[in-house]
Amino acid sequence: MKWPNVKLIFRRELRDQLRDRRTLFTVAIMPMVLYPLMGMAMLQVAQFMREYPSKVWIVGMENLPESPRLAVDGKINPNLGQAESNLIDLVFSEQGDREFQSIIKQFREQTEMTRAPDLVDQLIQKEMQARGIDVAIFVPSQIRLPSPNLGSDEELESSHSESEENSLALADGNQAEKSPEIYIFQNSAVDKSRIGAERMNTVLRNWTQAVVRETLTDHEVSLTLIEGVKIANADVADKIGKKAAAWSKILPFIIMIWSLTGAFYPAIDLCAGEKERGTFETLLSSPAERSEIAIGKLLTVMAFSMATSILNLLSMGFTGMFVMARLGGGMGMSGGLPVGAPPLASIGWLLLALVPISALFSAVALAAAAFARSSKEGQYYLVPLMMISMPLMMIPMLPAAQLDFGTSLIPVSGLMLLLRGLIEGQYAECLKFAAPVCAITLICCWLSIRWVVHQFNSETVLFRASERFGVGAWFRHVMRERHQLPSLGNAILCGLVILVAKFFIGFVASTPGNFGQFAFQTVIILIATIAIPAVMMALVLTRSPAKSLRLRGCSLSMASAAILLAIFLNPLFTWFTALVMKVYPPGADMLLLQNAVSNILGTSPGLWATLLVFALAPAIIEELAFRGFILSGFESIRGKWKAIVLTSLLFGLAHGVIQQTMITFVVGIVLGIVAIQTKSIIPCILFHLTHNSMAVLLSKADSAVVETSPVLSLILFSNDGVNYQYSVIAGILMGVIGIALIAWFLRLETKSAASRPNASWISMAMSRLASSQNRA
Amino acid sequence: MIHVRQLTKSYKDLQAGHFTALDGISFDAMPGQIYGLLGPNGAGKTTALRILSTVLKPTAGTAIVNGFNVVEDAGAVRRQIGFVSTNTAIYDRMTAWEMVQYFGQLYGMPLEKLHSQMEGIFERFQMNEIRNVLCSKMSTGMKQKVSIVRALIHNPPVLIFDEATSGLDILVAREVLRTVEQLRDQGKCIIFSSHIMSEVQRLCDRVAIMNRGHILAEGTIDELADKYEEDDVEELFYQMISVSEMKYEASLKSNSTSAGTH
Repeated sequence: MKWPNVKLIFRRELRDQLRDRRTLFTVAIMPMVLYPLMGMAMLQVAQFMREYPSKVWIVGMENLPESPRLAVDGKINPNLGQAESNLIDLVFSEQGDREFQSIIKQFREQTEMTRAPDLVDQLIQKEMQARGIDVAIFVPSQIRLPSPNLGSDEELESSHSESEENSLALADGNQAEKSPEIYIFQNSAVDKSRIGAERMNTVLRNWTQAVVRETLTDHEVSLTLIEGVKIANADVADKIGKKAAAWSKILPFIIMIWSLTGAFYPAIDLCAGEKERGTFETLLSSPAERSEIAIGKLLTVMAFSMATSILNLLSMGFTGMFVMARLGGGMGMSGGLPVGAPPLASIGWLLLALVPISALFSAVALAAAAFARSSKEGQYYLVPLMMISMPLMMIPMLPAAQLDFGTSLIPVSGLMLLLRGLIEGQYAECLKFAAPVCAITLICCWLSIRWVVHQFNSETVLFRASERFGVGAWFRHVMRERHQLPSLGNAILCGLVILVAKFFIGFVASTPGNFGQFAFQTVIILIATIAIPAVMMALVLTRSPAKSLRLRGCSLSMASAAILLAIFLNPLFTWFTALVMKVYPPGADMLLLQNAVSNILGTSPGLWATLLVFALAPAIIEELAFRGFILSGFESIRGKWKAIVLTSLLFGLAHGVIQQTMITFVVGIVLGIVAIQTKSIIPCILFHLTHNSMAVLLSKADSAVVETSPVLSLILFSNDGVNYQYSVIAGILMGVIGIALIAWFLRLETKSAASRPNASWISMAMSRLASSQNRA
Repeated sequence: MIHVRQLTKSYKDLQAGHFTALDGISFDAMPGQIYGLLGPNGAGKTTALRILSTVLKPTAGTAIVNGFNVVEDAGAVRRQIGFVSTNTAIYDRMTAWEMVQYFGQLYGMPLEKLHSQMEGIFERFQMNEIRNVLCSKMSTGMKQKVSIVRALIHNPPVLIFDEATSGLDILVAREVLRTVEQLRDQGKCIIFSSHIMSEVQRLCDRVAIMNRGHILAEGTIDELADKYEEDDVEELFYQMISVSEMKYEASLKSNSTSAGTH
């Protein structure tokens, strides 16, 4: 690769993009204009919200005490809250009061009985709407607090004499204590009413405190009684630390999302756009190598991705600070939000992380866009990319998300968590996981860049013929052009159907009560979601369904080797499972599910039934679909390893939970090797059956069985006499034999390859014969 | 100068399976000669020329351009050729000058030499008026001129024109053809593909008539006329293609009946 050429291409692409109004708009104009405009709109809206006064109607004003006064000169007493006093308009109406009181009376009666308030609620709502008020306050009876001087006869008497039928005043002494009540009627479906109610709540809280304070003062009781023990909160975080903590959650997300979005448009324009305009072939026929073109374009997309990210960050930051300062001053809205610029160090970390992140997103976007024949098509390819990336960016935003070994291995999420830690200044913690995060990020970057170069070297990607798509035409085409074996598209379709069916069946499936129901449900789900799609597709989409499903006999040696392989690899798989569970501990839901399953297993009529459900049924059904139809489809692309890995990936994903996905992916690789090398589904079913049976048997192993068998007592050990594990030496020995068996399977191919020239010689002779017949 | 032997290109289409675009064609083209590839759409002309310009890789066979193999020395081959086709468009957001300079630099030309060469070639093609005009603002004829200059800037010994006049009005097409003739007179080896009879008859020293990936006949115009006893080249072309199509359809039928009896 010649770097001067890369530089030349990069500079040209950069200039080209800078001359493109659409790119400039998305990268520069939008962030510079959009956020200030949004900020201004927010300020306007906030201003509108702030200036709107609440109309409050107080019914039963006469029941309030003279002092402290709730209302002064038709307004709320400013001593109870200056801001609220300005923003509340009081409404008085004597006649209305009487009508309202009769409605309220019904309301209270119903409240005391079992409340069926819909009708009364409607009446009150109607009344409030008719009068154009936001909140109605109802004081049902004279508010009077009891005397704190307990047991005074004089007080007791006067209290009795004043009490009325519906008085809610508190009597002291032995009478049942009941606080006086004031009702606040609001319509929470209307924002104005809700805000008005909040304001009145504040006012009335302050007023109540004033009433209590006054009563206590009147009776010469210490005011400290109200407060009781004062709880003092002290935040020892310094100002910079607090600011950093607030920013650490927001900034990494902004950086990531904009670097992804910023890569989209240039990636589409530099690949699909060039193809569309016809300039791609001009470039390909120039002396620049494909890899130089790919890297030059990648650097351009990266530059725009980074620029978008930085510009958005700056614009959003400045607008945010400005808006927050304005809002914060007036309304106390700055509470949990960061005010002021983020610490300088955090900006440095962000810029450092932006390089690999942009490289990764740009490379993936460019590689995906290379498939597209037009800009419009390019957008379709990049939407799924967004859908995959978003959850990875959202995981670190969860409050429980923490940087540990498990999360550090997740691409994007790990880097975001590391960034969060660095911004918060937890360097020691970050240092521990910096290596895996950097390694994963660099591996992802390297793989995605390799993918881009591969895409630019691939003729099928660069010169894809254009096809018009229609469901009817497609179906006719599929039926007419059926091949002996499934195509790549058929395999992907089958995988997707299985994944979607499994997803939806999860909602429909009920919790089984006993083993019978559980077994029935499990087998039915397996048949409905996996067996039926695969078998139906093999029957409809291919000319040779049996061959597609790999339904072919195999030699006895292959069958027995598959069983032995499953037995000898079992310790390695068991250890791998334990490792996965340790790195990614199962969540509460999964543990609950495991418990439920093990409880149901307790009701199993026997080991045979458990093995039937857990081993035999999945072995037959999953192998038919995955090593049968799907692997056959993936084999249509070159390279058996690609086919094996892609099939295993779908096999893993079909198991739903992330831990299961990882474990079954590895098992799938071994199964794929067996399937391709033996060309038969039978060894795969035997392997799968043995593998699952071993797992069931190991969980059922108890001291009575293990200790009576000399072989088992050599292989297995247990610390508690209940849970048995493989001993290290036995496990390693078995693993070595297992790997040797894999090598034996891999050698099967070389034998058949050696005999291939013969076969090709015969086929060539046959085709020559056929062509000479045609000519004749 | 150009030696093509048994050149084959087949695609693996996910839907249609194998499709052979080029089925073992062979020909030679010499310096100072215009070699014409004549054929209807889908004959395989563009595929052949894309292989010669190393944009595509052949499935089988060899192609040597000025002593370099298109597969093994693809980079060297690209330096020997100038490739102009209907598909080789120019960048809309660059000026004529920038466009030509960019490709000159990609060919590794030192900037000073490049500029003096550009001055000369812009003068010769009367392009000084449009040198600072963005290509998006140019007419089709001007664009084609820029495209040709872009292909000539490194003074390659071999030039490939793939339907370079299609879509052009008669005035511009004439100018392009005149340029091609001048280049031949300068001793360059030129491959010129077209489906327009009159162009080929007027321009080409040797012609290969192609259909469905095969060369049906090859030679000078006179040789072909003598061999097939038909002076009218258009009629000759029509007859050859018709016969080829009939043979192809017959072979399809026999294939499907033999498949049905098995």
